[in-house]
Amino acid sequence: MEPIEETDETVGTAPAAPPALQAVGLGKTYPNGTRAVSGVDLSVPRGEIRAIVGQNGAGKSTLMKLLYGLEQPSAGQLGVHGRRVRFAGPQDAIALGVGMVHQNLMLVPSFTVAENVVLGVEPGRAGRVDRAAAVERTAALAEQSGLAVDPEARVDAVSVGMRQRAEILKALHRGARILILDEPTAVLTPQETTDLFTAIRRLRDAGMTVLFISHKLKEVREISDRVTVMRAGSVIDTVRTEESTPAQLASMMVGREMSLDVPRHPARPGANTLRVRELSGPAVHGVSLDIAAGEIVGLAGVEGNGQTELVELLAGLRRPTAGTVTVDDTDVTHLDAAGHRRAGVAHVPEDRLTNGAALDRSIADNLIVDRHDRPPVARRGILRTRRIRELAEDLISRYAIRAPHPDAAAGALSGGNLQKVVVARELSAEPRLLLAAQLTRGVDIGAMHFMYERLVEARDAGAAVLLVSADLGELLALSDRLLVIKDGRLVARFDDPAELTEETTGLYMLGVERHPDERITAGVR
Amino acid sequence: MTSTMEPAAEQRELPETRDRREFLATRRRTVAVELTMTVLTVAVAVLIAFLVVLATGKDAGGALDALLTGPLERTPRIGRWLADATTLSLLGLSVAIPFRARQISLGAEGQVYAGALASALVAINLHLPPVAAVLVPLGAAALAGGALGAVPGVMKARLGANEIVATLMLNAVVVRVFDYLLTDHLKAPGSSAVQSAPVRPDSALPLLSNFFEVPLDQANIGLFGMLAVAAAVWFLLARTPLGYRIRVTGSNPDFARYGGLDVPRTIEWSFVIGGALAGLAGAHLALGIYGGLQPDMAGGLAFEGIVVALLGRNNPVGVVAAALLYSYLRVGGDVMEQQTDVGSDAVTIIQAVIVLLVTARALPELVKRYLARREAR
Repeated sequence: MEPIEETDETVGTAPAAPPALQAVGLGKTYPNGTRAVSGVDLSVPRGEIRAIVGQNGAGKSTLMKLLYGLEQPSAGQLGVHGRRVRFAGPQDAIALGVGMVHQNLMLVPSFTVAENVVLGVEPGRAGRVDRAAAVERTAALAEQSGLAVDPEARVDAVSVGMRQRAEILKALHRGARILILDEPTAVLTPQETTDLFTAIRRLRDAGMTVLFISHKLKEVREISDRVTVMRAGSVIDTVRTEESTPAQLASMMVGREMSLDVPRHPARPGANTLRVRELSGPAVHGVSLDIAAGEIVGLAGVEGNGQTELVELLAGLRRPTAGTVTVDDTDVTHLDAAGHRRAGVAHVPEDRLTNGAALDRSIADNLIVDRHDRPPVARRGILRTRRIRELAEDLISRYAIRAPHPDAAAGALSGGNLQKVVVARELSAEPRLLLAAQLTRGVDIGAMHFMYERLVEARDAGAAVLLVSADLGELLALSDRLLVIKDGRLVARFDDPAELTEETTGLYMLGVERHPDERITAGVR
Repeated sequence: MTSTMEPAAEQRELPETRDRREFLATRRRTVAVELTMTVLTVAVAVLIAFLVVLATGKDAGGALDALLTGPLERTPRIGRWLADATTLSLLGLSVAIPFRARQISLGAEGQVYAGALASALVAINLHLPPVAAVLVPLGAAALAGGALGAVPGVMKARLGANEIVATLMLNAVVVRVFDYLLTDHLKAPGSSAVQSAPVRPDSALPLLSNFFEVPLDQANIGLFGMLAVAAAVWFLLARTPLGYRIRVTGSNPDFARYGGLDVPRTIEWSFVIGGALAGLAGAHLALGIYGGLQPDMAGGLAFEGIVVALLGRNNPVGVVAAALLYSYLRVGGDVMEQQTDVGSDAVTIIQAVIVLLVTARALPELVKRYLARREAR
């Protein structure tokens, strides 16, 4: 452990009011030779909300880790409030008033909100935690900052939004003057996002400096004062938010002109492919729906309201307790995953790392899992390696997967490219029904656009598509019909989502409004 | 790096071809690095043992010389080395297959005795035509070992039993049953020692000394059988759908299930095939080494198979190479014990150090860290 080196020497030229956070020529090269960040100059004045945007692998996360002391830079200097600093670990950053809220919230689930907020700097003496004082402090902090929480509720019993607010309060309790938020809105509903933004502005007005990492340009434009765009480990530019356009930012992120629209004409639905009747199972209650060939049906909902379970029921990964499911004319209700695949069901799982890929197997191995035992991949009980290679090369080029070789390990690919492997496998099976869960989670803008095009292509080729997403904008842009799920039940159905706004949909997701059952099941017999 | 304003079509092709070339180069380099590291690991282990012997004040140089050159000095020692490596390779392969499906099977010991028992029963009692006299007992051994492997396999795959506990307990049962049958029912009449009647001459694995006309101790054609088995295991894992299922199940069972693979069936097969190979190792002992049944005939070999599988990274070629190396040290240890006043304990130390270094992957990690630190300076 190296001690913090504090000197009066300023980094670079000394302005009248030193920036809250400054980096000069910051670089990080990992031992395996990966240059994650190089030559980054960054200067964030006190009281500014600065958005950092970039595609996956642009170096955003590494930069944040450097600023929070989780990683040590291999080049360059860091300054906090005009003083040159060296962080040996996060504790040094915290001591200097830098706080970070991670994308995956890091709280103790069985502790109360107040206990989590004070964790590490507990009030009380001689190893005893003064719980009353903890609750009091948490409530006071919440009051001041406008981050409403219930201090005495257990973390595992409160909403994701409140957990996040608790995490921010934790940073404030430790005296953070600079707050780093890593993709804070990924898990929030539109309403929760609005509330969060209100609180962030209030903190800013009180002098807090906020770094806001995101790849959702809409939110970035809403919340930030200035935007820093990163690409390939370098800062491309920093612009005032009001002077930028989304298309301009997107072009800077990917390094070429790009359109954000998905070209698609109205669906021409055919006969019903998927028929679900009164389906119940873990966390799913009496769901009935139809999806026709050639249409995309979106499923919206706050995360954890049964959409994961519904998709897994439909994919054969879970067993229903009641109801029936048919795909075309096959009753798949009690079939396993293999049976579903035989019936023409393809499934892009919501978390590709859990079950969408075998990371230490080759890309080729990952591409053939559903067809490894039949021609052309296998014949007479023997794998035909040349055919597998050809198939993999073909999919790699058709789906623009950036991979050195079909034999390269899937785990060596970036998130977006790994997702392309999953999508390439599932779509190349020419499914009758495609279950697409979080199709673009953690995928950068370029790849996102590509996924949308492939999805619409599959629809136009006659696939029935169920699209589940935490990104409402994505659902509204792609769905021919939209369903909303809450507590495992369908609560709304929009047959023409073109007119719909995120705010309206959000009201149904939160359960403020709901459609009558007759409307939801109209035409479903 | 300066960006070219208008990349020509073929120039745009370049990054991909470069990536591919680098990938292939890295892959070749990785193989070389792994091999070097394995050799280095053994060298470091030998060095540590040397220091230990030195510390006891004995003739460390002579001991080391006996250990490293002893096995090659006389042909019977070479024969003992090859015979030992044959058994050990089969055992290593038998452990490696369940390992590849991420199953930790410790059942080789029981399966060895089951295989030895089955092959010896056939080879002692059945009168068979010449070639069948060898093949039928071998088949019986594979069947017995495979059947014994199926038990923990089914318990793990269908009932969720812990395979480590299941295989260990089964070992305890099988070894006792073997001892009981041998002492109470199979003991050769008129023999004072506890051992079975010898197998029929037709069933004994032909000795290599008959072909090469030099004394090669008990080394027999089982050596070539083992090489064929290793090739078959390679083919199974790399070139068949079942092997694919084993590899994918071992890599990520959730992905395998999602992809429609029958995970429980795959796990069962990995146990059955592993068991069959351990059964063959037992047959090699009964028909090739001892020519009958003896108590404790597997010694600690069954568990050394685990070390060999680890050392060979569960790769069939690697396992055979590791078995050859490991057996060499075993035979060298015996020579050292005979010729010097240093006991074969030193060999045990070498083996233990190898296991520690290999399982912790300590050496490559240390080297990598050192290189990274130097680069960062």
